[in-house]
Formats: sequence, C-alpha cells, structure tokens
Amino acid sequence: MPEPLLDGARCTVCGYAVAFPRPRCPACGAAVAPARFGPEGTVWSATVVRVAVPGRTPPYGLAYVDLDDGPRILAHTEGDAPVPIGSRVRLVASGGDGDVVVSAAPG
Amino acid sequence: MSGVAVYGVGTSRFAKQPERSLAELAWDAVLEALADAAVDRVDAAYVGTVFGPPGVAQRVLHTLGIVDVPVVTIENACASGTTALHEARAAILAGRYETVLVLGIEQLTAAFTGAIHPEPTDPEGRSGMALPSLYAMSAARYLHAGWVTPEQLALVSVKNHRHALANERAQYGGHHTVAEVLGSRMIADPLTLLQCCPISDAAAAAIVGPLRDERRDVPIRASQLRSGALWDQRAEHVWGFELVRDVAGAAYAEAGVGPAEVDLFELHDAFTIGEIVTTEALGLAEAGGGGELVSSGHTALGGKQPVNPSGGLLSRGHPLGATGVAQVAEVVWQLRGEAGDRQVDGARIGVVETMGGGVSGIDGNGAVVAVLGG
Repeated sequence: MPEPLLDGARCTVCGYAVAFPRPRCPACGAAVAPARFGPEGTVWSATVVRVAVPGRTPPYGLAYVDLDDGPRILAHTEGDAPVPIGSRVRLVASGGDGDVVVSAAPG
Repeated sequence: MSGVAVYGVGTSRFAKQPERSLAELAWDAVLEALADAAVDRVDAAYVGTVFGPPGVAQRVLHTLGIVDVPVVTIENACASGTTALHEARAAILAGRYETVLVLGIEQLTAAFTGAIHPEPTDPEGRSGMALPSLYAMSAARYLHAGWVTPEQLALVSVKNHRHALANERAQYGGHHTVAEVLGSRMIADPLTLLQCCPISDAAAAAIVGPLRDERRDVPIRASQLRSGALWDQRAEHVWGFELVRDVAGAAYAEAGVGPAEVDLFELHDAFTIGEIVTTEALGLAEAGGGGELVSSGHTALGGKQPVNPSGGLLSRGHPLGATGVAQVAEVVWQLRGEAGDRQVDGARIGVVETMGGGVSGIDGNGAVVAVLGG
C-alpha cells in the first residue's frame, strides 16, 4: 500500500505550502502547482475533545502538525491523551473524504 | 472636534432563556438604551448576529416601531456586535446619520444544547475542530512553553466569576476556587468546564451619534477592525495573538493613548486562555506575562487595570452577536461611574476587544478594538 501523503499546493515563487487546492498563492499571489506533503511532521499543539460534536464520538484527539517542509495541518490522533507537543508523527490516513490521521513516528 | 459618542446603552438579562422570544430580548435592550440616551427615534440600525435567523433584525425592530430606516445586519462571528458598532461609527463620521441604533442579538439555546457545532463547510470544522479545542490548542502551547501555569488559567475563571457576583445581568457569578476550576469536567484538554464560557440568550443595544456637549455621553475615541492574516506553519504565536496585537496597535494610535493609560478592559475571555493571550496582545504584558497579570491581582477589581469587571464572557455568558455590544455597555457604565459594586474607581478610559473565530487558515475572522472615554 502506498504511503499516505497529503495533496495540496505549493507556490512556484515563494514556496508557500498549503494543504488544500488554491487558485493562486494566498501568501504572495503567484501561481501555485500541485504538491504532496508528508509523511512526517512535528506536533505544534494538541488536545482531546471530550464534548459532544455532531457526527463525532468523544473523546477524540486533535493535533496541529507541521509537516516537514509543508503546511500546518489539523490531524486526528489516537488514544485518550493529547499527543506530546514537539513529538514526531507520521500520516496514517490522508483525508480525502475522511479525516487526516497521524500516529507516533517510528523511532 | 468631530467624532462619535455613545448616547445610551441597554441590555437584556444574560441567561439561557428559550422561553423568551428574540423580540422580547430586543425590547429589553433597545428600550433601555433609548431611555438612557433620551431619544425616541433613530435614523438607521446596525444589527450584529451570527445564528440569526434570517430577517431577525427587521423582525424584532418592527415590533418596536423602528421601521422605514436603513437596517444593516452584520455577521462577523463573536465580533458581530462590535463590528456593527464599528460600522455605525463610520457611517456617522461620514455624515450619513445623526442617531443610530447598534443592536447585538442572539438566542443560542434555539440552536445548541452544548458547544456550538463546528461549521461543516470549513475544513477544520468538518474535521471536528470545535471552538473549545481551538482555544485548547493555544492553552496547551502556552503550558508547554511555560508561559502560563494551570493555576493561572484557573485564576482567570475565579476572578471573572467573582466579578460577576456584582453584575445582576450576568448568567453565572460565583465564588470558585482554583481547585474547583481545575477539577471541573474536562472539555478539551487542558480547558475544563469552568474555563469555558456558557452559551446564552441575550440582546444588547447602544445609541450612537455625533459628539455633542452632553455630560453622560461617552466618546468613542477609536475603533479598528480587520480580519486575520494567514495563520499557518510560519506562525510562532498562538492563534489570534497577532491579529489582536495589530488591531489594538492601530486603535491605540487612533486614540492617542497607550495601554498603560487605560483604566479597564472588557475583552474576549471566551476561554481562560483567551484572556491571558489577549491581555498580552493588548500590551498589558509581554508575551508570556499574562499569567502574572492575573496572579498578581493587576487585572482584578481593585487592581491597577481591571479586566472584565462585568464578569466577561466566562460569567456574563456569550450570546455571540450580543457580546460586543454588552462589552460596550459595561465600559459606558464604568466610565460614567454607574457600575455599582463593580465600579472601577476613577475610570476615565476603557477598551473593548472582541475576537471572532471559526474560519481555519487565518488568525481570526475578525477582531475589533475600540477605545472609549477620555
């Protein structure tokens, strides 16, 4: 199975990375090209949601992850505790119609 | 001198009150504001609301006989009410109107029983990012950096619930301890229930017009509004910090005052971390110094610069569209010396800050900072 990567766009001029399609670079206005990001990154912050949210079963973990040379993304995390800030994680599911999910990167 | 002043303010009670209609909430706020301003008609109305419903402004205003005037409805997330004030002021400065009603109105119990639902058309909202978790991300980051302690976060809740005991309009006043706050149910780690504002139903109103020589009028010395810049992997600060810092800087420049000259603040403490980050962004402390402001008593009633003497969003309740106008009402009462047992002695200049969020990828839907008085 191919490694999950995240589809997005990168600016052809300033290099700005974004995890979603964009018609032009939101940072500088120049042209963007399709790009893929991941699979590893560093946790910027994390929490666990413990209240009812439509379509979700609490508790569920969320983390902002700075993908290496890529965008900051919101990802789901496994387990019942926030993943440590600064820890290394790896994409295990890359979205599409579902959630982006990360888990601890192997040592 | 040209400028704009608040002539009068009014609010409904803040509570979960689904038995009262939106119109009834508006009656309380608008009639009090009209009486307070001693006016009986307005040239235009700017109405801030988030969850509406569509037509809510005209639907409630016509029951008060406020008809046949321009009515503009504004949605700017939690900053909807102060955005309405900002735009009303701009229209008056442009000479378009003489007497304008600013109304914020919201009935959240009609839409939600618990936390506001994440917006499914937003990528992060679709992924389950509720507002408590957005603020929890900031709190976790601050704790990790050693910029705040759990006890300092809890002290924001203790302080604002204590302030609200002197505010009969507030939803939840109380004597809480740090241990009670930290021991309340976890909502989104590290934020516990008593660190999150409650949903609420309320309306708040202000009558504004050109500066005139009336003792009870409160000048709006400055008002600034903008949406957030891109917030992404380049951001070193937590969500919203730079937006509030920049909007506040522009407001201070317009008003010709600095943060040290401000006697009190009504600011966006939707969650305890919000007050910590915002006091830093407003220039009361360096980044990382907000915790000390609350643990030293600097921001408590009786301290040097009280923050949220009304009880803030944490205790007054947070009916989104009504919140900003309620903040303005509190500052008006304080600057007139009409705030009763929560009066800030000698208050001369007050600042209102409201921060709206929910759109991912930017540093906030919008922030408003207004400087009143002086």
